[in-house]
Amino acid sequence: MAAFVTWLRDTAVSQAFRGPQEWLWPVFESLHFLGLALVLGVAGFFDARLMGFMKRIPLRKAAEFLPLAKVGFLINLTTGLYFYISSPFQYSFNIAWWYKVAAIVIAVVNAGFFELMLKSRMVTLRDDQDPPISFRIVGVLSLLAWLNVLFWGRMLPFWSPPGGGADL
Amino acid sequence: MKEFLESIQYSAFGLWVAGGDTIFAFPFILVLHTVGLGIVVGMSAIIDCRVLGMGRSVPLVDLRRLFRTMWWGFGLNAVTGTVLFISEAADKAYQKIFYVKLAFIFLALLTMTRIRHNVFGETADVNGPMPQNAKTLAIASLFLWMGAIVAGRLMAYTQTF
Repeated sequence: MAAFVTWLRDTAVSQAFRGPQEWLWPVFESLHFLGLALVLGVAGFFDARLMGFMKRIPLRKAAEFLPLAKVGFLINLTTGLYFYISSPFQYSFNIAWWYKVAAIVIAVVNAGFFELMLKSRMVTLRDDQDPPISFRIVGVLSLLAWLNVLFWGRMLPFWSPPGGGADL
Repeated sequence: MKEFLESIQYSAFGLWVAGGDTIFAFPFILVLHTVGLGIVVGMSAIIDCRVLGMGRSVPLVDLRRLFRTMWWGFGLNAVTGTVLFISEAADKAYQKIFYVKLAFIFLALLTMTRIRHNVFGETADVNGPMPQNAKTLAIASLFLWMGAIVAGRLMAYTQTF
């Protein structure tokens, strides 16, 4: 692990990311929070619908807002990779970061499962039909996974390795 | 003023929030504040994007309840924000960016109440074409929330702001 992280830190890309443009980090942080709001808000809205709330809105119509959550996720994947590549030491030895990554993987696999296995069924659902149990499970899992992503992301500075990991 | 700020920051409650030996103090309140941000900005984003043409098949009346959800998120953040402020009152009160953040939030919420009234309101024509200024309000709302997020993030940079 240490060898990989040292190699990554010394790559030209990582060095360029840490370059003189100090303003870029807070700008990307702000975008990361915008992405967070889009993922949590929009995916959370759809998850609530999957669980059976807001039945007046047909499920397949609620799904029309999902591209917003996907945009939010792409913003956060991009800015998140920037943070990691810039300061790999700061994250690689922080257990909170690994929990966060694990939660992201669970959330993405769960969303992929819905996309590939359940979406075709969603289209045939009658507007007033209760969501099947599989939809409810996906909705609960999704919300829990994204809340975990947020929680462990927020814990990063509180769980940081000695010296912030800056010059390990 | 300074005395008052210090008295709340160094009150038993303020000290517990700032340094309580449990993650349920500052870190967890910060998590709740971030969940609230997701709810407020997320609901607003859905409403704004609907006004701007996304998800047209969803009737406007069915999205009315998102305003209520947004206000619950705002309530959560008013409370958690106040608690976080208490724990650092004597520092945060002198950060100009803090007042910029409050101004953005005030204007963003004002914009949301205009959208609620003009586009989703009981007297609005929810099935006809959007009122003329609807899209302007929606775009303004998105920019104002982005401003609030940026200002909020910059509050962490106490040396600079």
